[in-house]
Amino acid sequence: MLLIAELPKASDVATRRRVHAHELQRFLIRRLATLLITLFLASVLVFWILNILPGKPAQVILGTQATPSAVAALTAKLGLNRPLVAQYLHWIHGLLTLHLGDSYISSQPIAPVIGAALEVTGPLILGGLLVGLLIAVPLGIASAIRHTKRSGVVLSGLAQVGIAIPNFVLGILLIIVFAVDLKVLPASGFTTWSTSVTGALQSLILPAISLGLVEGAILARYIRTSVVEVLGADFLRTARAKGLRPNQALIRHGLRNASIPVLTVLGLELSGLIIGAVVIEAVFTLPGLGSLLLSSVANRDLITVQDIVMLVAATVLVVNLIVDLLYRIIDPRMGLRS
Amino acid sequence: MARSLRHLAQTTALVASAALMLAACGSTSSTAPSSTNKSTPLQTLTIGSSNVFPPTLNPTANASQAIDEVIDYNVLQHLVQLAPNGSIVPVLASSYTVSDANKVYTFTIRKGVTFSNGNPLTPADVVFSMKRVYAPGSTYPYGKIFDVSSVQQVGSDQVRVTLTNPSWNWLYDLAAYSNGVILDPSTVSTLATDPIGTGPFKVTGEVSNYSVSLARNNQYWGYQPHVSGVVFRYFSNADSLNAALQSGEVNMIDNLSAPSDATLFKSNPKYKVVSSLTNGKVQMTLNNTYGPLSNKLVRQAILFATDRKAIMNAASGGYGLIDGTDTVPADPYYINLASEYPYNVTKAKKLMAEAGYSKGFSLQLVLPPYFYAKLAAPLLVSELGAIGIKVSVSTIDFPLWISQVFEGGDFQATIIDQAEGRDVSNYGTTGYYWHYAKTPEIASELTAANAAPTKAQWIAGYQKVLKQITADAVNDWLYIAPFITVIDKNIVGIPTSAYTESYNLSYVGIGGTIPASAKQLGYLS
Repeated sequence: MLLIAELPKASDVATRRRVHAHELQRFLIRRLATLLITLFLASVLVFWILNILPGKPAQVILGTQATPSAVAALTAKLGLNRPLVAQYLHWIHGLLTLHLGDSYISSQPIAPVIGAALEVTGPLILGGLLVGLLIAVPLGIASAIRHTKRSGVVLSGLAQVGIAIPNFVLGILLIIVFAVDLKVLPASGFTTWSTSVTGALQSLILPAISLGLVEGAILARYIRTSVVEVLGADFLRTARAKGLRPNQALIRHGLRNASIPVLTVLGLELSGLIIGAVVIEAVFTLPGLGSLLLSSVANRDLITVQDIVMLVAATVLVVNLIVDLLYRIIDPRMGLRS
Repeated sequence: MARSLRHLAQTTALVASAALMLAACGSTSSTAPSSTNKSTPLQTLTIGSSNVFPPTLNPTANASQAIDEVIDYNVLQHLVQLAPNGSIVPVLASSYTVSDANKVYTFTIRKGVTFSNGNPLTPADVVFSMKRVYAPGSTYPYGKIFDVSSVQQVGSDQVRVTLTNPSWNWLYDLAAYSNGVILDPSTVSTLATDPIGTGPFKVTGEVSNYSVSLARNNQYWGYQPHVSGVVFRYFSNADSLNAALQSGEVNMIDNLSAPSDATLFKSNPKYKVVSSLTNGKVQMTLNNTYGPLSNKLVRQAILFATDRKAIMNAASGGYGLIDGTDTVPADPYYINLASEYPYNVTKAKKLMAEAGYSKGFSLQLVLPPYFYAKLAAPLLVSELGAIGIKVSVSTIDFPLWISQVFEGGDFQATIIDQAEGRDVSNYGTTGYYWHYAKTPEIASELTAANAAPTKAQWIAGYQKVLKQITADAVNDWLYIAPFITVIDKNIVGIPTSAYTESYNLSYVGIGGTIPASAKQLGYLS
């Protein structure tokens, strides 16, 4: 009787849900506030660092034969002779009103250029992530299951080799094998989505593999550790004692638990993929965000650099927020207060 | 238990690998890259360029040579242009006369020429274009050498240009630099993305940081090149560019950034390697005001201690030319002074001792981020080390190089390709970054030479200047930079030299032949 009396009533559940929703709301507000403050600090830092870089845009544009008066005139025309604070406020006001501004170098609006670059980098990163997961999940689980056996050690060693290969070296190797020798995939370049979807996908296969393989190898090690821990956990033994088959137990109870630490790493890996994309785009000469960033730095097209860095910073912060939310959903024990 | 888990893992791994394989194989069936399509008479020529992507397509607003490579001569034309053999040929001018001791130039504008938008070329367009060079707020990168006092239309088909000072170089400058491009006044607002010109090609599109596409201009007044269009594709990575040529994605490489890569293609019968020279003088620039370097004997010692042959072999795979001063074979005043400073360590040490530096000194060598500089530096470190000069090396990016070294003069020594043509006048430019003590004297020598009544006297005057700067060992001229083009062997009509900023494709073709006259001007047959 006592036990029955202690069971929660329907109204208690509703209250708890209300409390949870309220907590979720507060958690979101807190996290969004942190995100905005971080973005603000990032914007100040990016702007300040880029603007103290030697090598002024007007000088780069006009070259070595330009007269000082021509350089001064162009500097004024670009608005770069105004106080830094005024330049910063102008830029931030533009960002807040979704006007990314015009390139110093080409005088063309930046937004469409970044948009076109994202059509390459976005799918490349997603492809890299997909390749990474396709490699990491089976490799991680397989090496965890066999962690006490020789084959497990071999699989683990394979992952180690994967981590040791720099992605650009892998890219060059893939080009030599699949493009130069076998001629089954393009060595480099990008067919735009509007020209041919198949062509665009083909252009991204080798880059995505180069990008994803290393990330996959890193992730595989985390998955391995996580699954090894779960395999030895009491709740899995209980699940098996209930009569579940080992793979059923792992899938129903184990993987959810094993995925929590992996999810955190996945969030971090995404930042790694964005940075890796810069290198891979250079190897495969893809006209993505990385190539745009490098050429904009070389041309001192500072406003384009600022816009790209802010976009990347915002993406990483938003992804981290999503990951944060996700693992609280997967594991409610984490709570919403921390 | 363990067995079924293993089975699960195996199945997942198999599915994953199969998906990857399918993705890779699926791609082969539809569009395997093909280099040329022999069934159609006109094909698109894809050039793999080692240049940077043009930051804009407007050559009158940005100094990047990458813009001129694509746009100049191919899309926008000049009254007179430079041929690969170095001669100045009339293009939008059907003829021209020079009078008043090289001060007045009268051009007869070619009839029947239209811009690619259909507008006819008029003398008024020429006047507009030339006045634009020196108008207030002009951003022409070479505007300062456009020493013009007036431009006017004469009669119905002529334009007369009067210079401020007589010059034997002005016509060359008009042909060589973007100062000479003739624009349709109604299209200047779209120059950055869609320059409209009278040339054999017109711009049809660009993908930022990737490619610029040109199509043949069917309204072109001159010889029609034997291609339907040209695509310039940009590669920041030399290995990727080489692979793109080998896999047939590009038909040619405009210029190998690492000349030693020529060995990859030289023995392969599929390709032709065309090596030529540029206007680029690769030199170790010496700051003539920096302590020990202000002593002429020390600078001479450095020049004697430099093994230029070894440096050229290391930095440009042996391609190039050593001539030991600031001139290239295309210059009318060309002179080879390589024998002035033969590699002679003993003599160098003697000069160091004579200058009071028998124990040597330390020298900071600042490099721009270019292959040739990085490859030449280690040899210079060891060669100068042999005469006691302890060289420390650092590398900076190019905008910083411009700001710190070129603009600020804050350096001791650097390695740079002085890429402009006929640029000996830099030695007479006050405040130029190497700070040569005799700049004013050189300036008056050059002014006098430019005002000389005969060409022979002008040449003699310039050669005197070259001998003077060489005797003073102002800089350590290492070698003339090569231009090494690798092409599919059926390509014809590319320029066989690189003395222009432009890469003139007026006679280019995939297959076929080129006119005999073009061959004489220096286009590959």
